[in-house]
Amino acid sequence: MARFHDLIVTDLHKTIRDAVVVTLRPANGAAQDFDFIQGQYLTFRRDFDGEELRRSYSICAGKDEGILQVGIKRVDGGAFSTWANEELKVGDRLEAMPPMGSFHTELNPEAEKQYLGFAGGSGITPVLSILKTTLAREPKSNFTLVYANKGVNTIMFREELEDLKNQYMGRLNVIHILETDAQEIDLFTGLVTEEKCAQLFRHWIDIENVDTAFICGPEPMMLGIARALRDHGLDDARIKFELFASAQPGRLKRKAVSQGAASSANQATASITLDGATQSVTVPKDQTILDAALQNAMDAPYACKAGVCSTCRCRVLEGEVEMVANHALEDYEVEKGYVLSCQSFPVTDRVVVDYDQ
Amino acid sequence: MAEEMSIESYLAAGGILSNPANVPPRYRAELMKLMATFVDSELAGAAGFADIINDAPGLKERIAAARIVLEKTDHAERVLKVMGEFGADTARYASHHPWTARLPRDADIAATRSEHDMRLAVFNYPLQGWADAVVMNLLMGRAVVVQLAEFAMVSYQPLAEAFRAIAPREARHAQLAEEGLANLAAEPAERDALQASVDYWWPRVAASFGAADTRKFAALKAMGLRRSTGEELRTRWVGEAKARLEALGLKAG
Repeated sequence: MARFHDLIVTDLHKTIRDAVVVTLRPANGAAQDFDFIQGQYLTFRRDFDGEELRRSYSICAGKDEGILQVGIKRVDGGAFSTWANEELKVGDRLEAMPPMGSFHTELNPEAEKQYLGFAGGSGITPVLSILKTTLAREPKSNFTLVYANKGVNTIMFREELEDLKNQYMGRLNVIHILETDAQEIDLFTGLVTEEKCAQLFRHWIDIENVDTAFICGPEPMMLGIARALRDHGLDDARIKFELFASAQPGRLKRKAVSQGAASSANQATASITLDGATQSVTVPKDQTILDAALQNAMDAPYACKAGVCSTCRCRVLEGEVEMVANHALEDYEVEKGYVLSCQSFPVTDRVVVDYDQ
Repeated sequence: MAEEMSIESYLAAGGILSNPANVPPRYRAELMKLMATFVDSELAGAAGFADIINDAPGLKERIAAARIVLEKTDHAERVLKVMGEFGADTARYASHHPWTARLPRDADIAATRSEHDMRLAVFNYPLQGWADAVVMNLLMGRAVVVQLAEFAMVSYQPLAEAFRAIAPREARHAQLAEEGLANLAAEPAERDALQASVDYWWPRVAASFGAADTRKFAALKAMGLRRSTGEELRTRWVGEAKARLEALGLKAG
């Protein structure tokens, strides 16, 4: 299982008012673990008021820059991103798992490819890593970036992209699409929708010769772009997606304090929610929650029944269960009340569990 | 840019997910089941086939059988790696279960899974010697080709990519079986035994496409985890497998 390592903040700078670029150095000889692939992300963890939060942010550095760097845009009400933008300082330590993600394609110095990237807002971070690495490592390939933002002053890495255009003269093409700011060309104003893409493909982008497309942005934008690309002959094997949902799972409330102590009776009542429906069933205290659900004709998810795979994960909202084996859930999930239902026996007379959370 | 959209409606509209960070709980569970079914079937299939290597009549067949065992195990590992990103203990997973375990040849389990793993029911039946294994491998191999064409389009991109890489090699396994069966079918003396194997395996492989469950299918479809129903996939398989058997002078079930 992936482990968290300490990273030290070596540099911080604002790329726009609401976004900070954080440069990190792995501590304690973990450098090798952080040898990333372009387009990958880091998952950080931090305690906020006694509750662990985990957030993933894409690496924005290219492979050849010799640094580890992520871009963090502040989202309204986002505890982690607000903290990173307002309180994080050089010298602080952050905990992160080694890079993960498969938002990349293999590079080959001999290749002569046409890449097309779409980024919406902070979705630029992995695409920036990809385009920098690609331009450096595939000298015969070209990259076109369609970059959607609200207005000129919310464009992350705007100057860096200008510098890259000059550095890779003729090989990097950047089309800024701005939602609210008017531009010289009408087409470049508005949202990046399916229709907008179709118009871009008519005069601005040679879609027929595109080898691979990368998309990273909010959900509706990804859907529109993907439809336009498929319409123009790109199959899914040539479209790479990366979605960090605007609503990453928020802070979970702790489970209700169990009511009443365990009694000696060997029967419990379990209220089990699955796919929006709740059933109340009687469970002997030597039967697992999963088996109780299955016996009552509920289609509860499971696979290994050995506490290994975590398919049967559910959340205890009320009461106590005893999980006799756990090879899959991490401590922070357990703290939030998640259990492996195949290994969990009721302890209190009443338990409430939910597979939908 | 400011538009808000739930993950559920994003998926229903054909959206693609790319990392474990934002998959909804029920999606996670169904995705894990799908992966476990594949991994368990590959591990059980490879384990059963490993014993058959020694029954192979010649060196070429021995190599083909060994290669199938090797590659199916490798395919299990690739998908298990994706499960690992969701927290599954991959090392323990591969060793927690006796993958060679089989039921009696005449066990009547229809499409029910065993208590202890998610392998497709068909992998609970034992093989009886080389020719029987070749027949099973052709019929199930063609079924896997049909199923992988479906699953290579799932909405979880890392899994879709794994399946796209696996699909051509599984297709090759079915082709190896077809070549093996052509050799066996050339011997008139073998005919009856081969037909008996076809009759045994045909309904069992057919059952592996699952029973019709409209509600379940609708839920999986909305998550982008299914496109065709089990019945549609079965029909595709029947067409393909039948043509291949008939070309070799055998009758489909």
